[in-house]
Amino acid sequence: MNDLDFKEDKARAVEFLSNFTDVNGDAKYLDILQEVANHKIRAVQIDLDDLFKFLSEEFFRRVTENTRRYIGIFADAIDELMPEPTEAFTDDDHDILMTQRSDDGPENMDGSDPHQKMPPEIKRYFEVYIRAPSKVEPFTIRQVRASDIGHLVKISGIVTRCSDVKPLMQVAVYTCEECGFEIYQEVTARVFMPLFECPSKRCLTNRTKGNLILQLRASKFLKFQEAKIQELAEHVPKGHIPRTMSVHFRGELTRKVAPGDVVELSGIFLPIPYAGFRAMRAGLVADTYLEAMSVTHFKKKYEEYDLKGHEEEQIARLAEDGDIYNKLAQSLAPEIFGHEDIKKALLLLLVGGSHKKLKDGMKIRGDIHICLMGDPGVAKSQLLKHIISVAPRGVYTTGRGSSGVGLTAAVQKDPVTNEFVLEGGALVLADMGICAIDEFDKMDESDRTAIHEVMEQQTVSIAKAGITTSLNARTAVLAAANPAWGRYDLRRTPAENINLPPALLSRFDLLWLILDRADMDSDLEMARHVVYVHQNKESPALGFTPLEPSVLRAYISAARRLSPSVPKELEEYIASAYCSIRQEEAKSNTPHSYTTVRTLLSILRISSALARLRFSETVAQSDVDEALRLMQMSKFSLYSDERQKSGLDAISDIYSILRDEAARSKKMDLSYAHALNWISRKGYSEAQLKECLEEYAALNVWQIHPHTFDIRFIDA
Amino acid sequence: MVGVAYDCLANPLGAVRSSFEKVMASDSDLASFDGKDWGAIDLFRNFLFDQSGLSQVPILNHKTIKWVQPNTLVRFRGMIQDMLGNEFYAGAYKDGTVWRTNKFMDVSRFPMGSSSDMRIWERRLIYCVPVPGQNSWTESEAVMYRSVDCEFQQRDKRPRSGDEAIDSMDSLVSSDGFQGSPSAKKMRENEHPSQATQFQESITGSACSSSSWELNIDRDSLSCIVKIYDSPESDLKLNEVFEFVGVLTLDSEFQVDKDEYDEFSNGFGEDALVHFPPNKVPRLHCLIHRKLAVHDLLQHSPMMEPKPDLVKGIREALLRHLTAVLGNDDLAAHFMLFHLLSRVNSRVDTVAVGKLSLNLTRFSKESVSVFGTQLSLAIKNLLPFTHCLPLTVEYLNTASLAPRKDYETNRLTTGVLQLAEGTHLMIDETQLQSGTLNSVGVENARLLKYLMEFQKVEYDFKYYKMEIPADIQLLILSEGKSNILPADLVLPFQPSSVGSSETVPTEALEAWRWYLAILRSLPHSIDSEMQKVIENDLVEARQADRSLGSQDFSRLLTMGRLMSLSLGEACLSLEQWQMVKELERLRRARLQLKT
Repeated sequence: MNDLDFKEDKARAVEFLSNFTDVNGDAKYLDILQEVANHKIRAVQIDLDDLFKFLSEEFFRRVTENTRRYIGIFADAIDELMPEPTEAFTDDDHDILMTQRSDDGPENMDGSDPHQKMPPEIKRYFEVYIRAPSKVEPFTIRQVRASDIGHLVKISGIVTRCSDVKPLMQVAVYTCEECGFEIYQEVTARVFMPLFECPSKRCLTNRTKGNLILQLRASKFLKFQEAKIQELAEHVPKGHIPRTMSVHFRGELTRKVAPGDVVELSGIFLPIPYAGFRAMRAGLVADTYLEAMSVTHFKKKYEEYDLKGHEEEQIARLAEDGDIYNKLAQSLAPEIFGHEDIKKALLLLLVGGSHKKLKDGMKIRGDIHICLMGDPGVAKSQLLKHIISVAPRGVYTTGRGSSGVGLTAAVQKDPVTNEFVLEGGALVLADMGICAIDEFDKMDESDRTAIHEVMEQQTVSIAKAGITTSLNARTAVLAAANPAWGRYDLRRTPAENINLPPALLSRFDLLWLILDRADMDSDLEMARHVVYVHQNKESPALGFTPLEPSVLRAYISAARRLSPSVPKELEEYIASAYCSIRQEEAKSNTPHSYTTVRTLLSILRISSALARLRFSETVAQSDVDEALRLMQMSKFSLYSDERQKSGLDAISDIYSILRDEAARSKKMDLSYAHALNWISRKGYSEAQLKECLEEYAALNVWQIHPHTFDIRFIDA
Repeated sequence: MVGVAYDCLANPLGAVRSSFEKVMASDSDLASFDGKDWGAIDLFRNFLFDQSGLSQVPILNHKTIKWVQPNTLVRFRGMIQDMLGNEFYAGAYKDGTVWRTNKFMDVSRFPMGSSSDMRIWERRLIYCVPVPGQNSWTESEAVMYRSVDCEFQQRDKRPRSGDEAIDSMDSLVSSDGFQGSPSAKKMRENEHPSQATQFQESITGSACSSSSWELNIDRDSLSCIVKIYDSPESDLKLNEVFEFVGVLTLDSEFQVDKDEYDEFSNGFGEDALVHFPPNKVPRLHCLIHRKLAVHDLLQHSPMMEPKPDLVKGIREALLRHLTAVLGNDDLAAHFMLFHLLSRVNSRVDTVAVGKLSLNLTRFSKESVSVFGTQLSLAIKNLLPFTHCLPLTVEYLNTASLAPRKDYETNRLTTGVLQLAEGTHLMIDETQLQSGTLNSVGVENARLLKYLMEFQKVEYDFKYYKMEIPADIQLLILSEGKSNILPADLVLPFQPSSVGSSETVPTEALEAWRWYLAILRSLPHSIDSEMQKVIENDLVEARQADRSLGSQDFSRLLTMGRLMSLSLGEACLSLEQWQMVKELERLRRARLQLKT
C-alpha cells in the first residue's frame, strides 16, 4: 500500500459518490451532500451494498479491511465534491470563525508548516460512516478475532452500560501570543499532549518560544459516548460466560442506544494503545474497542421480522406441503409427549387472528387467549416456556410476579429525579406479543381486576399519583393454573375445580384441562420412555423431525401478515353453528359453559388464524369446522367424564349425532367426509366413527358404501 | 542463550524462547503460528509427563506462594469462576533482524520499538479460585523441591524505590524519545542482559520479603488469573476444576494505582489490573491444563482395579461406618450410600438423569446437633468438596445464592451456588422458623428448588438469565418433608442409638474415598430382558398408586444403577433390582408410619 494507491482510490470514491444512482435513478449521494451543504444533516452514510454494486470487489475488500483509512479517503472525496449551499442558514460561531479564517488565509500562508495548515477536519460539517452490507450475518462477540483488527465487522449484542455523552476534542486550536497565528493540532486518541511552544516559522526564526493558548471556542469537538455490549444469551456456548466489548460512538451516533437494547452494530475493530505511564507497564497488551459506524435496533415484532433468503424458500416449501398444520403443531415442544390438540391451540395462539377496527372506532381483538389447567407435573410450565422461546416477543411471568410492578403497570418514584414515572408490567412489556402467566390462579387481586381489561380491551388504565393514562397491552394471554385443591378432584364439578370467576373464564377463547388419567397404555409408554432415557442417555427418536424454532418463527411471522376475511357464503354456516351450540346449552339442565357473543368472536378468531396458516386471504369452511372441533375438544377435556356418566357410550353417541344430522337435512344419504366432519366437531375420532359404522351396519340400520364409506340410512 | 537445555522448572521462559528461536532459525513461516503452538507445548508435555516432571512442579497455594519464584513453573488447582474475555498482545515482534516472542509472559524481555514488525496474537483470561468447599485432605503437602534461601536473596535485593524505578523510567524515555538514535540503541542492547537479571533478582527478592505479597491471603482467597493460549474454547468451561501448569508471573512493577488510573481514563474502569492487583492475584501463563476428576485429588490413590470382591469389602465397611454415623439406621445408611454415589450422568431434554437428592426427615434441633454434625463431618472426610447451608429466613433474605454479573466491574460476582461439579451440599432446614420472605428470599428459595429439580442454576445477567448446568449432591435435613426443597428421596430418620464417635483409620478412609470416586463414574447398562422386567414393574406400581410419576420411575432406575454400581458391577441384575424394590418398600413403609 502506498500513497499512489490511495490517490487512485480517492478518484474511485469521487466517481462512486458522484455517479451512483439508486433504484429510482436519483443520485443518492449527491443529494445527501446537498443536504449536508445546507446544514440539514451531518451524517454521510456510505452503504457498502451500494459500493459493492458500483465498484470492483477488490476495492470493496480494501474498504472492509482498512476501513479507517478509507473513511479519510471518502471524506477527502466529499470535500472535493461538496456543492454550494442552495438554501440560507443561520451562521453559528463555527461558520463565522471559518469565514474569518478564509479571509485571513492568504497572508498567513508562510510555507508548509504542518501545524499551521488548517486540517481538513475543522472545515468539515459532515461525518462519514461506512455501513456494513446488510446481507452479511452479524458476528457474535467471541467470533471477533485478532485477525479482524482494523476490519469493518458487524456484531450483535445487548447494551449493558452507557457513559454520558462527552465532548471529545478532534482538532485543538491554539493562538500564539507572539506571532498571533492560529496553530492546529489534530487529535486522534483520547489523550493528547498539548503543545506549549509555537512551532510557526516566525517564532522559530525569532527564537521567541511563543506561548500558546488553547482556544476552546475555535477547536472542534465531537460528541463522544462509550458503551459496553455483551453477547446475547443464545450466542453463548454452553458453560461459558458472555463476552463483552467496548464500543465508541462518535458524533451523530451518540445517544442512539440505552442499556438493555438489543442492537446490531457495524464498526471498526481497533486496538487502543495504552497512553502514558500505562503503556510502559502494560507493554504488550492492547485493549480493543469497536468504533461504531452504524446502529440498528433489533426488531422483535413479528411484523418487522425480516425474512432471510433461505427462510423464504423454506416457508414456500412448507406451505406447499399439505399437512403444515399438524407439522407445525408437532414441532412445538417436541419433547413433550402427546397433547396434539393443545399444541394445535398453542400454534393458533402464536399465529393469532386478525385485529379489526370498526368504523366507529371500536376494536375487536385478534389475539387468542388460552388457559391451561391441570394437575401439577403435567408439563404446563414447560409448554408455556417453550411458547415464549418460539415467540419473537414474549414475556414469561408468574401470577405473583416478583417485581413490584406486577402484571400491569405501576407508578414509581424515580430515585434520582424524584419524579413519578410509569413502569410497565409484564402485560405492557408483552405488547404485540405473548404474555405467559404461570400460576394464574395465585394472582394478586389487584392484577386480577386489571387483567379483565387487558384481555378484552387490550389496554391498561392507570389512575395513580396524578397520572391518568392508558397503556397499550395488545397481547395474547397464555395462562396456566392449578385446580383449586392442588389436584383435580374428580368428585367435584369442574366449576368447583377451576378456581376462577366466570367473567374471567369467558375471556379465554380456549380452556384446556390436562389431566393425568389412569391408563395402562400411557403408563407403559411412560415407563418405556424413562427406561430408554436411563439406558441410552438420550430421548427416544420422535418419529419425525421437528422444525427448528427459527423456521417456526419465520413461518408464523409470514402467516401473520395476512388478514383473512370471512366470505358471505360462510356467514350463514357460522351463524347456524353458533345457534346450535346455544340451543344445546339451553336444552341441558346443567350448562357447563356460557355461550355468549364472545364465543362467536372466538370461532371467528380461531378460523381466521387457521386461514392465515394456510396463507389464504379468505376463511374456508374447513377452518370453521376445525375451530368448532377445537372448541368442542376443549370443552370435552373438562366435561368428558359427565358425558360418560350420562349413559351414552361413544358409539351410540356418534350414531345419534349422525341420525340427527340426517334428519335435519331430511336426506337419507350422508357422505363419509360430512359425517367425519360432524363427529369430529363433537370430539370423536375417525377410528370411533369407523367402529360405529361397522357396528350399526351389522344391525342393518344403515348401509355403508364399500369404497367411499358413504352412509345410506335404511328406512324402517 | 545458546545450546543450553533449559531447566523447564526454573526457567520455563528460557525454554520457550530457545524453542522459538530454533523454529525461527529453520525458516518457518511465522504466520502459521497465529493461534498455534510451534512446539513449546510438546517440550513441556514431554518433560511433565514422559519424564514425570509433574510431581516436581510445586502446587501454588496459600502456603507455597510465599516461597515460589516468579517466572518458574508452577501448578495451580482451581475452579474456573469467571471468564474475563480475551487479551490481545504482541505475540511476536522483530527486534532488529531477529523475531522474538512474548508468548507466556507479561512484559517483554527486550525493549520493543514501536515501529517494529509485530504479530498480534490473542490469549484468553480466566479467573480461577480454589474450589469452594474443598476439604483439607485433598491438598497435598507442598513439594519442597528446592529449598529457598530467602535470607540470601534478601541481601542481594536492591532498594526498590530507588534506582529500580529510575531505571525503568529511563528505559521508557529511551524507547520513546531516542528511537532513531543508533547510539542509544546500542547502549541499550549492551545494557539489557544485566538489567534483565537485576530485574529478576529484585523480583525474587521481593517475593521473599512481605512487601510485594500482601500476606493476608487466607487459604480460600488465593485466586489466580490464568492466561490460556491456543486451546479450543470448548475445553474450559465455567465451574470446572482444572489443574494448570504454567509460568507464574508477578510483577510488582505492574501495580496500578486506582486513583491514578481513574485520572487517566474516563472510561468505565473495568480493567482487570484495577480489580485484580497483581500483588494479590498472581498471573499464570498456562502451558498445559488438564481437567481434574475426583480421583486425581486422592493423595495416595491405591491404583486398584475395581474388582467386585474388593469393592464389596469396601462397600460393607463403608455401610457399617455410615450406619454407625446415622445412629444404627441401616436403611438411611443404604440411601446415604446411594446419595453419595450419585451424579448427573446425562441430561435428556430438561431432565437431569442420575441425580438423587436425599431428604432425611424427623430431625429436631437437638438431634441435628448430634447427628447433623456427625454426618457433615463424615461426608467431609469422604468427599472432596462439601458445603453446608443453614436454611433460615434471615439467610434466605440476605444471602446471594446465584452468581450475578456486576456491570460496574464487569465481573461475575460469585454466589453460594456457584459450585464445582460433584460438590456435596447439605442443607439444614431444621433451623427454619416461620417468617416473611422478601423478594430476595423468594428468589433464593426458587433457585434452590430449581437446582433440586433440574440441577441448574440461573445466573443473573441483569438483562437476561442464563441457566448453567450444575451437578450438586443435595442432602436436606428437616423436621417434616421439605416443601421448599422437594428432594428425590424422602426418608424419615430413625436412629436407635447415639452415634459413636469412632475414629476411622486413615487407610479405611482412603479406601472409601477411592471407592466413591471411582465407582460413580463407571459405565453402566441395563440389558433388554431386565428392561422388560423393569417396565412391567413400573406399570404395575403405577396402576397400584396413581401418584407415581415419571420422576419416581426415574428415581427407581437411578437407584437400580447405583445399587449395581455400588457392588462394582456394570449391569443391573434381577437380584439387585429386587433389592432396590425392597429398599423402596421399606422406605414407603416408614413414610406411612406415624410417629
